[in-house]
Amino acid sequence: MMRFTKPLLLAFAGCALVSCADIAAPSRGNAYEWRRLLSSGTGVDTFSFHWSTSDLPVKYWAEDSLNLPLHVQHGIDQWEALFLYGEYKGVVVTDSNTADVIVMTGIAPKGGFLVTRLESGMAPECQGATDIELTSTGQHIARPIRVYVDPRFAPGSPGVDECMALTTTHEIGHTLGIFAHSPNTDDIMYADPRVATPSVRDRSTAELAYHTPPTLTIDVP
Amino acid sequence: MTGYPSAAILACMRTILAGLIIAATVSPRALQAQVDYNARLGLTWASTLVRDDIIEEVEVRQNLAPTLALGASLPIAPLYRAGLEVMLTSSGYHASEAGTSTDLGTINTGSITLGLNGPVSGRLSWRAGAGLLGYWPKEEEGIFLQGGTTRFLAGIGLDYHASVSSRWDIIGSLRYDYHRFSTEELEARGFSQTQGVQRISATVGIARGTR
Repeated sequence: MMRFTKPLLLAFAGCALVSCADIAAPSRGNAYEWRRLLSSGTGVDTFSFHWSTSDLPVKYWAEDSLNLPLHVQHGIDQWEALFLYGEYKGVVVTDSNTADVIVMTGIAPKGGFLVTRLESGMAPECQGATDIELTSTGQHIARPIRVYVDPRFAPGSPGVDECMALTTTHEIGHTLGIFAHSPNTDDIMYADPRVATPSVRDRSTAELAYHTPPTLTIDVP
Repeated sequence: MTGYPSAAILACMRTILAGLIIAATVSPRALQAQVDYNARLGLTWASTLVRDDIIEEVEVRQNLAPTLALGASLPIAPLYRAGLEVMLTSSGYHASEAGTSTDLGTINTGSITLGLNGPVSGRLSWRAGAGLLGYWPKEEEGIFLQGGTTRFLAGIGLDYHASVSSRWDIIGSLRYDYHRFSTEELEARGFSQTQGVQRISATVGIARGTR
């Protein structure tokens, strides 16, 4: 018995010591500023937002035009895949009355009490904008958030569908809470993006956004 | 971990398991009579799977997991037996950060270990083994976005037998095992090293054995 137990005890004492070593997390130092910084009379107001776990899944309604439902689903999937801990989930709904975010074709209308209009130049084939409106208290975002994606050329023209897809993914990034544009051309959140998918910097930024306390919350439906 | 070495070990274990099953079913009575079997149910606790640092510390852990364990062994020396043990668990897992917890879905695990056991005193016996542990998430997302993972595993334990008839015992078992955890998705994101994971299971069941 002793012949077996001594080496076994030593082996497991070794394992217990090794077990102190942890997995090492990667750096997110490559993230860019995602918050909206607006000058006010007294300085700078910081607007930041992310969906809380109780808001999930975020409900998107997409106009049935120019493959928008498909592009929205694709955009949701791409952003969902960036998160490790279930921070964000989205779903496409069929009833716009239940939606947290409405995605339509067309140019964003003028007017409204906007905290920001996040316009994006995009590729020359299309353009997009996300309107985030505050409630009267100034502390909540009004539902629904509205996203506009508009083709500049006739549907079916070369590059229009690809442009609509990446623009939708970019605008969904704004609906997540990335209220600013990346300064890096390789990021989907660059103001005039040239890539179709979120980058490692986009991922780090989204992760930081979702682990930083927000200054805004969504209003109760 | 899922390449050639683990495949070879799995193949070897399958052969031994098949040998035990065949020995138990078609072998001469003398050999069949020497095979011990047991089936147990219980719970498994596991330590942190992933520790991340995004502003605040984030920890991923499995919930207390219902466990099914199956074992079989053959004598190899007057006091010692060699055998295989399979343990299956299924539970939720969650991420915790600054006092809040997020449910991440369901994860199933299965381990197969080849081990030795021998007497401690009276009805108490020890077991030590090594093998493989597989993680199979119900949904491929988050840390399992690129699928589950297979890890090497080593463990020790104690079994207590209480006889209820000439052939059947009630068996109570405690197991401790240890492995290093990571996934392809974590590695792809730049997580370096692996997380030491300790598991403790307590199970109760029946054993049909030799005296």
